[in-house]
Amino acid sequence: MSVAALASLLIGVLWIGGGTVWLLTRRRYRLAQVPNFLMDLVGFPVELAQSLFGRTGVPYALLLPNMLIFGFFTFLPMILNFYVSFTGGSSIQLFDRPWVGAANYAAIFDCETYFSPKTCSNEGYDFWTGMFNTLWFVVVQVPILCVVALATALVVNKNIVGRGFWRAMFFYPVMLSPVVIANIWNWVLHRKGALNAALGSSADAMSAMAGMTGFDLVASVVFAILLMAASERAMRASDKPSVAWTAVFGLLFWAVFAWANPLAILGLPGSTWAGLALAGLLVWFVSTAHPKARWAIVAASVLSILLLLTVQFDAVFDFGRVRPVNWLVTPNTGWPFFWLVFVFCWSHMGFYMLILLAGLQAIPKDLYEAAKMDATSPARAFFRITLPLVTPTLTVVLVLSLIRSFQIFDEVWLLTGGGPGRETFMIVQNIYETAFTGDRPEYGEAAAGSVLMAVVIAVFTFFQLFITRRQSEF
Amino acid sequence: MGIATFLTRTKGSADRADRIGAADILAYGYLVLGVLIILVPVLWTFVSSLKDERAIDSFDTRILPMTQVEADVPGQGVKPVWTYTAPDGSERDVVKAGPTRAETEVVALDDPETVLTVPRTSLEANEEIRVATENYLDPILKRNGQTNFTFLTYLFNSVFVTVMATLITLVINAMAAFALSKYRFRGRLTFTILIIATLLIPSSIILVSLFFVVWSFGIFGSLWGVIIPAAATPTGVFLLRQYMLTIPDELLEAARMDAASEWRIFWRIVMPLSLPALSVLAILSVIWRWNDFLWPLIVLISDPSKHTLQIGLTTFSGEFDSNFNYILAMTVVSLVPITLVFVWLQRFITTGIATTGLK
Repeated sequence: MSVAALASLLIGVLWIGGGTVWLLTRRRYRLAQVPNFLMDLVGFPVELAQSLFGRTGVPYALLLPNMLIFGFFTFLPMILNFYVSFTGGSSIQLFDRPWVGAANYAAIFDCETYFSPKTCSNEGYDFWTGMFNTLWFVVVQVPILCVVALATALVVNKNIVGRGFWRAMFFYPVMLSPVVIANIWNWVLHRKGALNAALGSSADAMSAMAGMTGFDLVASVVFAILLMAASERAMRASDKPSVAWTAVFGLLFWAVFAWANPLAILGLPGSTWAGLALAGLLVWFVSTAHPKARWAIVAASVLSILLLLTVQFDAVFDFGRVRPVNWLVTPNTGWPFFWLVFVFCWSHMGFYMLILLAGLQAIPKDLYEAAKMDATSPARAFFRITLPLVTPTLTVVLVLSLIRSFQIFDEVWLLTGGGPGRETFMIVQNIYETAFTGDRPEYGEAAAGSVLMAVVIAVFTFFQLFITRRQSEF
Repeated sequence: MGIATFLTRTKGSADRADRIGAADILAYGYLVLGVLIILVPVLWTFVSSLKDERAIDSFDTRILPMTQVEADVPGQGVKPVWTYTAPDGSERDVVKAGPTRAETEVVALDDPETVLTVPRTSLEANEEIRVATENYLDPILKRNGQTNFTFLTYLFNSVFVTVMATLITLVINAMAAFALSKYRFRGRLTFTILIIATLLIPSSIILVSLFFVVWSFGIFGSLWGVIIPAAATPTGVFLLRQYMLTIPDELLEAARMDAASEWRIFWRIVMPLSLPALSVLAILSVIWRWNDFLWPLIVLISDPSKHTLQIGLTTFSGEFDSNFNYILAMTVVSLVPITLVFVWLQRFITTGIATTGLK
């Protein structure tokens, strides 16, 4: 029997036995009051504190259990982490562990070039691979997550049909456990799974359609009509062009630009990104309500019609034979990483959406009414009212999602296991594997890794808070 | 653009309030995308879990659970049934009598003695719609060699951890919140700051040393090793504190006049009055504990009889990489309780998280 078990037994006997005696000598209970007696027994330490120290003792007694757990299971480990990181061996008796000084840190920092983990020692290789992957993951993940969450919050904050259902739907994945999420996506993303089947059959259908005679002409006419309708809609509003329709137009423009591939004439790659940049530029220009915005749309329409004439639609829509991709396993494609970002977004977005939704709803409605009185365009209202007022909430979301993305483990462990190779190997997995799997657990090294990780998280968080220059609402 | 305006003009004035604008179209487009990305994978998993093993193995992507009919043919054993379409258009139910080749040997069900040789292309699987309940029942009832997934044990462990942890969380968090909201005492600010500080300590960076602490307490490998370290939550304390601040002090004073002890005030007045906040915290705690993964994985992995549903499901999926039918069915089983809780209490959950803004 361990000391802890003995201590808890002693406390239990004192609590129940002593409490019963103490309560029964002071208070009278009828038989119907047994529940009352039991709950008084639960609170016996508080009662005792009150009788010993008066009312000033009560709050300390009330805080005691919570602070004990925080102390033993949060603050003590925090400090112990430093101690463990300076010890070696695989003993789990805390005081049995030999002091090795900074050897664990030295092993991690034993690199020729820090930006290339391959030049490190084994420990350093694992650590730095995990660290760089995690940093890259965070840098990609956090902005995407915040933008998607904000967009979703804006959509479900609108006056749409079935709003409660949509909010619940976007929040639903947060409720699912990582194992369930991983199993679902493993099943969907399997080489012969639903995603590949859907992609394959739609590509086949497209190719078949593109193979029909006259498809080029029909598609050109359809796209011309769509482009004209969108640009006309964008410019229909009385004096300022509508941003939302410009966005629709921008999407079409992007597609046409990417297909026409005008940069290929100059021998340059990257038409897709150039088209996206141009479309984004157009939407931004219109959203600033510049007097020349109308002319920008007209120019873009003319350009897109010209480009449309050069697009060979039967070539664009002929996908040929689509080979199914092994999404989570194929190395050097970036797909496993992409799907990790996707699945993480999928499973956590709803939570941040709710926080942002609360932030959006806290914005006074009369601001929008005043803006409407002044005939402010929705885009201007968004940039001048919504965004500034939701920024404090956005800061909270940024910090929370940053801390959370840094700790990504469950999804990776269950979906890719860190693979293929070490492409999705994250820092928490490094800590977990070093300490808890394998024949010889290296607790010291894992603790050193945790300390370094804590430093990085702290630096990132403070950096972020410094940039946004706002105190979060704690 | 005058002509285009004329052509696209609709009846009524242009700025009617309820006109569907581009913003609405984009919004609804976004929602459709959301359905595709969020609901379809979950529903697809559910639908797939109803298919039988052969359909799962061949990655049948039809929605309905189609199962090939099987028949017991004398001299051939139980075999899947195919429909043979003869050149003259007549159809017969047959089973394969040999390996599948360009010319396959088959026997008809109504005439098992004669062996026919027919082209493979004229054979089509004879299918019926059947819900494969064995996917669910085999692991739960331990039939067909599915003895590794001790579902009831896992369920019990998960429920035990969830219920105990939630009860402890509710009581001790409410106590702390009561102290912080209704008493003025030395060190109140210190305690508040300490509790905030725990919010900023990510659980994964104290993993290793938490393991040492839990080991020294002798609760490593037992369910209490999962319950106790996570029982005190800063989120819960703050959620309840904010709520308890709205309870008027006069109520407490009145109770003190009647010589109620502080514990009784807490238990009989403050707790019932903060029931809305308590229920939100209870729901949050249930979700957290039910879905908890990394810490139970460390504490409980060595003893299969202590596995929670999530850990059990992980090891189960690891062992049977190919038996997707059982994995999917058990995924659905562990998804159902939390989905039901969500559907019932959806409003509480969403408002609860939105108001605390914490996880």
